[in-house]
Amino acid sequence: MGRSGSCCVADVADLSGGEHLFKRTTSVCPGCLRLLEVDVVIRAGKVYFRKSCPSCGLSEALVSEDARYYVRAYSFARAGTEPLHYSQQAEHGCPTDCGVCDEHEQHTCLPIIEVTDHCNLECPICIVNNQYSTHMSLEDFHSIIDGMVRREGTCESVALSGGEPTSHPQILELIRIAGRPEIGRVVVITNGLRLGRDRAFAEAIKKSGAYVALQLDGFTADAHEKIRGRDLVADKDAALGALKELKIPTQLVFVATRGANEHQIGKAVDLLLEEDHILSLNFQPAAFTGFGGGKYPGDPMDRLTIPGVIQRVEEQTGGRLKKSDFFPLPCSHPQCVSLTYLMRMEDTSYLPFARFVDFTRFGTLLRSSATLPANAEIHEALHDVIHDVFARQDEIERGPEVLAALRGLLLQMFPDRPLTAREQVRIGEGRAKSIFLHHYMDRHDFDLERLRKCCHHYPQADGRVMPACGFNMFHRGAAKGPDTAVAEFARRAPNGAGRSLRVVQGT
Amino acid sequence: MSGGLLQGRVALVTGGSRGLGRAICRVLAREGAAIAFNYVKSEKQAQDAVRELRESGTRAWAFAASVLDKSAIDAMVRTVEQEAGPIDVLVNNAGVGQVVPLALMEESDWDRMMDTHVKGAFLVTQSVLRGMIRLKRGRILNVSSLAGVKMLQAPVHYCAAKAALKGLTEGLAKEIGRYGITVNCIAPGILEEGVSVNVPQANREEYLRHCALRRLGTLDEIAEVVAFLVSDRNGYMNGATVVVDGGV
Repeated sequence: MGRSGSCCVADVADLSGGEHLFKRTTSVCPGCLRLLEVDVVIRAGKVYFRKSCPSCGLSEALVSEDARYYVRAYSFARAGTEPLHYSQQAEHGCPTDCGVCDEHEQHTCLPIIEVTDHCNLECPICIVNNQYSTHMSLEDFHSIIDGMVRREGTCESVALSGGEPTSHPQILELIRIAGRPEIGRVVVITNGLRLGRDRAFAEAIKKSGAYVALQLDGFTADAHEKIRGRDLVADKDAALGALKELKIPTQLVFVATRGANEHQIGKAVDLLLEEDHILSLNFQPAAFTGFGGGKYPGDPMDRLTIPGVIQRVEEQTGGRLKKSDFFPLPCSHPQCVSLTYLMRMEDTSYLPFARFVDFTRFGTLLRSSATLPANAEIHEALHDVIHDVFARQDEIERGPEVLAALRGLLLQMFPDRPLTAREQVRIGEGRAKSIFLHHYMDRHDFDLERLRKCCHHYPQADGRVMPACGFNMFHRGAAKGPDTAVAEFARRAPNGAGRSLRVVQGT
Repeated sequence: MSGGLLQGRVALVTGGSRGLGRAICRVLAREGAAIAFNYVKSEKQAQDAVRELRESGTRAWAFAASVLDKSAIDAMVRTVEQEAGPIDVLVNNAGVGQVVPLALMEESDWDRMMDTHVKGAFLVTQSVLRGMIRLKRGRILNVSSLAGVKMLQAPVHYCAAKAALKGLTEGLAKEIGRYGITVNCIAPGILEEGVSVNVPQANREEYLRHCALRRLGTLDEIAEVVAFLVSDRNGYMNGATVVVDGGV
């Protein structure tokens, strides 16, 4: 495996044969979880980490199925936003000081509060590490919400997760506590089993005003069995039926897994576009970490990554969505999330924003939010877009129709009356939908620079706010399955101090 | 003319076949601009104006199109862009005059006055603006009146329409300044020709008593200011209303 040179953004289009060193970064050994400096190499149009561990030897992992996408994504990187307060001071470095420390490069866009570690499924692809021991107390939950508001001021969304959050005996009370004015929407991330079976509960969720993020990884028994451990077709149908009937605002979460459900990606997109109450779709290429995922028989050299899922979206939607409709999310690390917004046209069809918005110029519109909030920043950006479309309407696909839809969007989102903080978040719903792709990391593709920019955080009762992938892999163990020890560098000495970090230099 | 204020520019002047509009066309042409204008009724004068402009070496076009006919305006603008190139300068000059007291003013009088001045300026501006945003530059000048910025003895619908043009100027200047397009307004006093000929003698004498220069203005004096206002030399003025009244 010889190297034939290094490359940069400018010349990636010219890459052909051979192997090219793109950059170096910090990852971990998939065997012993030691921090390693690794080569990021491009070979045959794909991107790999090449690792050399003094204990475990050489290894490689696929990081991106499309080198052009990977390299171009870096051009979308932009500086993060600091939280109002940090929970930790940097002392030993990343990821030991997680909490987040003042060296973290992004505030919390999406707090994910794990309200229970009980679950009614044991998924072969589960990325957390349920202990079946605790439901979070109302007091701790209160404290977490207070802490989030203190650190962030306002939050567009707060997600309640687990375990299975609907197994928490006081889930409705938790939703009520989270429903304070500083928080735009409360989202319950659920497998949907209880929603489909317990009508009174579904009605209570509707009444609570919460949104539901429904785990929906496919439409066939075999897909569910491979990913969730058993046939859930009837359960998912029941949940979808309840959500539709009650018009509960819904997000779909689809863990895209090689050899399991990758052929059903287009059908998930169809469902998003067909149902008014479904606001967004979140594809998560499978990460091989956690209670189930750490043992999942996935091949780190042949797995789905963000551009691979986008490719399947294009193939399976008959071109209604194209690869060029998706852009890296600038506020997180650009390799973590990709997204597209879809605008509802006057004829009720949907058109990707990318068909009429140049996101390289209007990056403000690329946000870590399922819908567009009615704030001053979006107002300004929309005006820019409107003028741009107005001037170029003869060149743009369905130009006059786009202008008509933008007019409707603008008038709905910015009515001639003051909006509450909650209304600002919610008022654009129905006019635009979104598709997100979020690739959580595992021991194979872990990249420390991605972790430092992470904006999906697990707030803890002790006041820490843990970036998702670092927490899943290192701080609660299970990087290689349920029996994985907590990584040495993530442990804290009895006196509260962390251990010094030591990154093994690559050879 | 080489080296003029508007060398190589393309200007569209509404109501350019006669009166102040024609004078503006003539001066902008002298400064190097290619000229397009519209007219509604005065075809003979329009033909004369085009001939005069062309004889002086100017590329010129006249269009029989009401400023209230959106499709005709759009067609005119597209034709100018195809024939002459992107429009750099728009002068919203088209207007009408009518001397009638409020007590006798009919609803149709009001609508005609407001439509011609205000809606007409809106429709033509909207059509031209597409190209200007693409160019990331442009000069828009709205021809208002002293009657729109000061309390004068003038018909109220005329005063209201001309004052509306000042508001249009300021709102639009704020909205599209980000594209390097400036929007300004000129407010002439009473002139010797043009719509001013409708001004009753008593009002004219009253005006002269308050005018420091003790005379009416001329069409060319206004047109000369217009030429500067729409030129690149006038780069930082935006949202302004320039009063040209001899000092009233």
